[in-house]
Amino acid sequence: MTVDLRKDFVNYAKSLNAASEDKNIRTAISRAVTSYRNTVTETLERFPHTPELAEEVQEIKRQSMANLDNLLETAMASVERNKGKAFYAKDHQAALDIALGIIGKGKTVVKGKSMLGEELHLREYLEDNGNEVWETDLGEFILQLRKERPMHILSPSIHVPREQVAEVFTKFFGKVVPPDIAEEVKVVKEFLREKYFTADIGISGANVVAADTGAMVIIENEGNVRLATGAPPVHIVMVGVEKLVPTFQEAMKVAEVTWRYAQYGVPGYVNIVSGPSKTGDIEKVTTYGAHGPKEFYVIFVDNGRNEMAHEEKFSQALHCLRCGGCMYECPVFQVTAGHFGHTYMGGIGAIWTAFVSGGMEKAAPLVYSCLRCGRCVERCPMSINVPAMIGELRERVIYGKLEG
Amino acid sequence: MTVETKMPMVLDVISENIIKHGSPLALKGSEVSSWAKELDLPAKGEVLFYTGGEYQMLPFIDSLVKTITHLDQGSKVFSMMMGARNILNKTGFSPEKMYASVLAKDKDRYNSVCFKAAKVLQELGYEFCYSGKEELYSGALLYELGYLQDMEDYVKRVVEVIKKSGAKTIVCLSPHAAEVFKFVYPKMVEGFDFEIRTYVDLVWERRDKLAKLQSAESVVIHDSCRLARELGIHQELRDILVSIGADVKEAPMSREWTSCCGGPIKILFPELSHVIGERRVTELKESGSSHILTSCPYCLSALEAGRIKGDSAVVEDLIEFLYRGVKA
Ligand code: SF4
Repeated sequence: MTVDLRKDFVNYAKSLNAASEDKNIRTAISRAVTSYRNTVTETLERFPHTPELAEEVQEIKRQSMANLDNLLETAMASVERNKGKAFYAKDHQAALDIALGIIGKGKTVVKGKSMLGEELHLREYLEDNGNEVWETDLGEFILQLRKERPMHILSPSIHVPREQVAEVFTKFFGKVVPPDIAEEVKVVKEFLREKYFTADIGISGANVVAADTGAMVIIENEGNVRLATGAPPVHIVMVGVEKLVPTFQEAMKVAEVTWRYAQYGVPGYVNIVSGPSKTGDIEKVTTYGAHGPKEFYVIFVDNGRNEMAHEEKFSQALHCLRCGGCMYECPVFQVTAGHFGHTYMGGIGAIWTAFVSGGMEKAAPLVYSCLRCGRCVERCPMSINVPAMIGELRERVIYGKLEG
Repeated sequence: MTVETKMPMVLDVISENIIKHGSPLALKGSEVSSWAKELDLPAKGEVLFYTGGEYQMLPFIDSLVKTITHLDQGSKVFSMMMGARNILNKTGFSPEKMYASVLAKDKDRYNSVCFKAAKVLQELGYEFCYSGKEELYSGALLYELGYLQDMEDYVKRVVEVIKKSGAKTIVCLSPHAAEVFKFVYPKMVEGFDFEIRTYVDLVWERRDKLAKLQSAESVVIHDSCRLARELGIHQELRDILVSIGADVKEAPMSREWTSCCGGPIKILFPELSHVIGERRVTELKESGSSHILTSCPYCLSALEAGRIKGDSAVVEDLIEFLYRGVKA
């Protein structure tokens, strides 16, 4: 069999070239890079224990990935003990089927930002199956209206300036929304507020999962995740198995390192959810769905992650905290943003594309547009050796090892 | 299961050129070594001066890329590519035709870098040998582009040539050659126990003997990624320049945080590579100096290309800069 990648390279080069000429991307990323570097320097000065903590987290991650099967079992049992329901999805389709099985048709769904959701094309799938789905993260909401994909894992709409936001909002809300950021934030707040309290289901991801307690740790700044996971009667967590760590204490360490390198400094909110809302205030009789959701589901998604965990040369890629630091340091990403990516972006994204989201053929052009300059490794709190993995993937592409 | 992957033609051309001709651009050994004619370097010795033909091929890279990108995007893509591939298979890529457009002044400039490097080292009292027209390219691009299995065979030939010199130490002008000799060869060739050094390293050791600058020129260093991050050499460059009396300015991102010149993706994504080079030149100029020095052939070529038309910036290799002192 022959796989001809030549056209893909040509098309990909065109999209990179077009992106590199896009003034919005240039300006937005330049601003973001400066602010990222400044914030991180400043917060590392304020919290000087962080690099050492990051090293500890590397070890936590290493052991967790070596023990993935056990952790998963423990975590699922913990969720069930907390009166939640735990599922394991082997692949992409299984994850979607399980979610749809819980949700059904004709429902309103509010959703927090999640790269896994992007990987699964979750919103589109639920919509195609007769549901109304709203992205509640402001950036994701903008992209939902613009029918675009994220250009950065943390700031998905990094490439859209306020004028263009005003334009799309004016059209959507059917009233003039001025290109004023505060105004723009306000209209979305008013609109989504109503959705949170009428929605049937809230969906979120999680940044870390503690297996011992079944605690889902979700870091955010906007407060949308609080509302989306607290107001509707059902909360579904969809999370990649690589987010598992053994204990609650360790989960806190991972969380702190994540937000510090993700430019949160100190995040506005850290949500910890372990089960449905409950009360025992009347006669000590436990009743579910007190103020928050009555039903709590966790879908642990594999979709290639386990295979990655077993590949000596690639398991380290699962340590990624999705802090986004590497992308800011990547000279290719700096001028092309998410165009250097499929679902996942930048050099680490190319690795994830190969194993999890897209496959080797999709990954090949990405893998060859990496400079292997290595600055991402300097930045990465997990010291993930992306250039070495890129080299390994190139070898596989050249010698036709396109499947696992 | 394995399949046959068809990759952009430039990869086929470069890898096959290396394997068949010992040079990514199929340059002839006699051409690559022509710089050494008047120096009469011995073929054997303790220390081997290794160019890998890398500086010498710089002026040709752009024409190759231009020709091939043009092919890739042309309307008769496939038939033309088949044609080119056949030529490649039968006769090797004909550099003469492809490179007819290269300017003589560029050829002269890059060809003389090796000469200048040798002169500087001699001036510092180093003695070394050179493999002349037998010298083979290190294969760094095979490693870089994923042709590792081919590289395993190829490196045997390179090692044979190196061994003929009887040297124990290899001095590399290019950090890419130093990188593969240091980290890749030992994994592929049993008993590959040469001492691998860089040109920068040798100069650094005897920097006190370098001629001082007439007046304190301000310069800015573009750290090559390989040199700074893989080989950990960045302070040395500053020491050398300070010792000859240069005023060294620092760019916002330097040393292990240096920004890549864009060179590595030039052959597949030339336009983007160019954009990245341009940005790096701008960043370097933020240091307050427009006299950019680097110590890597690909950085040299990428930054040179990254100067926007009419840009006052000067881009030089450290070798070229130091040679002026030797000449004076
Ligand atoms: S690879 Fe490292 S720097 Fe990049 S997002 Fe992941 S953890 Fe952050």
